[in-house]
Amino acid sequence: MRTKLIILFSVLAGGLLAWNLHTIFLKVPDEASQGAIFRVFYFHFPAAVTSFSCFFVAMFSGLIYLRTRNLRYDAAAAAINEVAFTFALITLITGMIWGRIIWGIWWAWDPRITSYFICLLMYFGYFMMRRAIDEPHRRARLSAVLAVLASVDIVIVWKSIEWFRTQHPGPVLEIRGGGGMAPGMEAPLFWNVLAFLMLETALILVRMRQQSIQSEIESLRRYAHAF
Amino acid sequence: MSFLSRTLAVASKDLRSEIRSKESINASVAFALVILLLFSFAFDPTSDQVREIAGGLLWLVFAFAGTLILNRSFARELVNDCLDALLASPVSGAQLFLGKTIANFVILMVVELLSMPVFTIFYNVHWTQSIWLLFVVMLLGTWGLTVIGTLFSAMTVNLRLRELMLPMLVYPMMIPALMGAIQLSTVLVAGDPVGADNQIWFRLLVAFDVIFTLLSLAFVETVLVG
Amino acid sequence: MDRNFEYMFYGFTAAWLIVIIYVIWIALRERRLRDELDRVKRMVEDQEREAKK
Repeated sequence: MRTKLIILFSVLAGGLLAWNLHTIFLKVPDEASQGAIFRVFYFHFPAAVTSFSCFFVAMFSGLIYLRTRNLRYDAAAAAINEVAFTFALITLITGMIWGRIIWGIWWAWDPRITSYFICLLMYFGYFMMRRAIDEPHRRARLSAVLAVLASVDIVIVWKSIEWFRTQHPGPVLEIRGGGGMAPGMEAPLFWNVLAFLMLETALILVRMRQQSIQSEIESLRRYAHAF
Repeated sequence: MSFLSRTLAVASKDLRSEIRSKESINASVAFALVILLLFSFAFDPTSDQVREIAGGLLWLVFAFAGTLILNRSFARELVNDCLDALLASPVSGAQLFLGKTIANFVILMVVELLSMPVFTIFYNVHWTQSIWLLFVVMLLGTWGLTVIGTLFSAMTVNLRLRELMLPMLVYPMMIPALMGAIQLSTVLVAGDPVGADNQIWFRLLVAFDVIFTLLSLAFVETVLVG
Repeated sequence: MDRNFEYMFYGFTAAWLIVIIYVIWIALRERRLRDELDRVKRMVEDQEREAKK
């Protein structure tokens, strides 16, 4: 069942991404002031939005573990965080490449990209801590607490963007009430968000399956040592 | 015994043990002085540019020196199973945590107050006009550092590579508090008044302190006991 | 504008590269885990056979 879901999500994601690439390269015109580099936004924004929301989903999964003490929720939290970390890395790198053209420098220290880098550092610490603990329930407990602290901290750092003067482009999408994008250019963005979500779901399901194989190995080892 | 008296009992235990041995304070003050010295090689300490980065310098010194104190906080209880004894005692996790945070706060404030005159002499800054406001900033910023640091000290106490894990986990978390404290300190050390657009940093510091104190109190039992 | 195209391709390449490397890493880990699972299962079977004797 899980394998079927993984295949379904991967195929749907692949199809959507291929269709979107076709639209992005052939149908959407160049943006007036930025030229071709603007198309990187079609990957940068979905990666940012999906990874950011995944961190919060993982936090809730950790909280549910604390409530139920069922290790599957910890496995889900770890898998979601790992996939979110990868897509946050994509966000950062595409953001840097975009910044290189628009602002002329690779790293402009503007608050949004800096806070995302801080987020990456915090979750790197999360993974390091998980590797340092062998006992599964202790690992799950401390990971859940760390995920809550990290998620709250991200929000605080993120909110401070609204108080700083920032070089980051202001809200571009109509839903945020900023200067809107031309109507034809918005659709591929949202389709890409959907495609990324499906790709991430497929990857998360694969990682969760690996976590359950890992715990099966651990319990078999314990059984073997009991002889 | 009430919540407060148990908390203060834990705090006074830690402070008394620190006053008698003076291990953390000596190491922290020495470390702070070394960092102040090292920074002087990174740029010209007598130039006017120092005024722009004075706040940053100061709080980096406090953050690094503070980590030494915070690392010891729960680690000193590992010897002779003292931590297990504390957890088995009538003192709750929250009281234990708060007591240790208060003790760490006092020790770090002492280190900071000892480092300030050295900082003033080395980098030729004048902050006497805004001494009370700077003191308030130090109180708020130090509380933010110690509350996060003490919680993470509790989290990492039984981990492998504890001394590596604590700084790696704690520094990114402290960034909002450091940001606020650095911005305010830079303005105050330069002798300028805290204008309207800098007051947001006070709000950030207070919000950070309140939020993370509440979160830490909520989770410390889970972290220590399970 | 040419430079914009060049960097746009760098951007897309970087994004796809990261995804591909991650997928390969997951696949390698899957293979390693399955090998280890087989090994541990064989070890348990051997020990059960020994215990029955």
